[in-house]
Amino acid sequence: MAFDWHALSIPVDLPEVVDQISYERVVMNAAATWDYFPGHFDPEYAKRQGHPTIFVNTMHLAGFVDRVVTDWAGPYSRVVRRKIALMGSIYAGDTMIGRGMATAKRCNTSGSKPQYLIDLEIGVSNQRGELCCPAEVTLEVLEP
Amino acid sequence: MADEISYKYAFGTYEDALKMVGVRTESRVAGTVVSGARIQHFAALVHDGNPAYWNLDFATRVWGGLLAPPGLLMGWLIPQPWFPDGVRPTAGIAIRVPLPGKTFVNASNEAEFLIPVVEGDRLSVVEEVMSVSPEKTTKLGVGHFIQTLDTFLRDDGAVVALNRNTLFRFDPASSARGS
Repeated sequence: MAFDWHALSIPVDLPEVVDQISYERVVMNAAATWDYFPGHFDPEYAKRQGHPTIFVNTMHLAGFVDRVVTDWAGPYSRVVRRKIALMGSIYAGDTMIGRGMATAKRCNTSGSKPQYLIDLEIGVSNQRGELCCPAEVTLEVLEP
Repeated sequence: MADEISYKYAFGTYEDALKMVGVRTESRVAGTVVSGARIQHFAALVHDGNPAYWNLDFATRVWGGLLAPPGLLMGWLIPQPWFPDGVRPTAGIAIRVPLPGKTFVNASNEAEFLIPVVEGDRLSVVEEVMSVSPEKTTKLGVGHFIQTLDTFLRDDGAVVALNRNTLFRFDPASSARGS
């Protein structure tokens, strides 16, 4: 069923998204983003910098936050703003858990056509319940 | 410890760093256009089944082409890690701010996606240093926060995205203790 912005009641919780991050995924992270900072592929380097092992980069966390919101709102939605704070790292072997809530909806009428927007608060935690990456997202939903 | 550095850092004092505040780079153009292969490899990385990334018919009808995942924005302007002429890749402007720290970690990021980016777009970026903080101590070590603003443009001149990033350039706490 198509996502209906007009019928959406606020606030509403989003379904939880869980993703296990293996070494393969962290290496894939470097390859997919072309970000070869050694903390993303070299465990010895990461340990010398005070980390337990290699960790995913900002783009991977941003992509996961985006997935949490567009999995919920569907493919006629698009992230138009995202603010994230990197409070803790997600390491190889960790589980990423995305939870969130839609906190507001509004229609921006300042442009040539109305923009149907939803504001959300998302948190990415690890398997120990530590909040690694709080995020604010604004999503645009196209009119069906 | 030069073998630890794959991207060329600039080293200097906080006073040297402050001289770079307000510096804007020349426009840097991506070596290749936005490609379906990279769109889908990133979507595979994130396990994101959004048909905007996978279904060309759907994506073309709704977005004008396979949609570039917003999360991959910065990735389109990261240079290849090797070039045949031997020239080292250009690190982002934040790494070129002269400071004492031997490593970095990203602290925060805020991006606005003004226009959907789709397969075939050729992007360029203009980077600007917005601020450099005085010395701060965090659980990771002692260093400085560097705020930058990246403006991403399409080759018709349209601004497609703005990316404000804050990076922590620091010396790890363990090495600061002299170990």
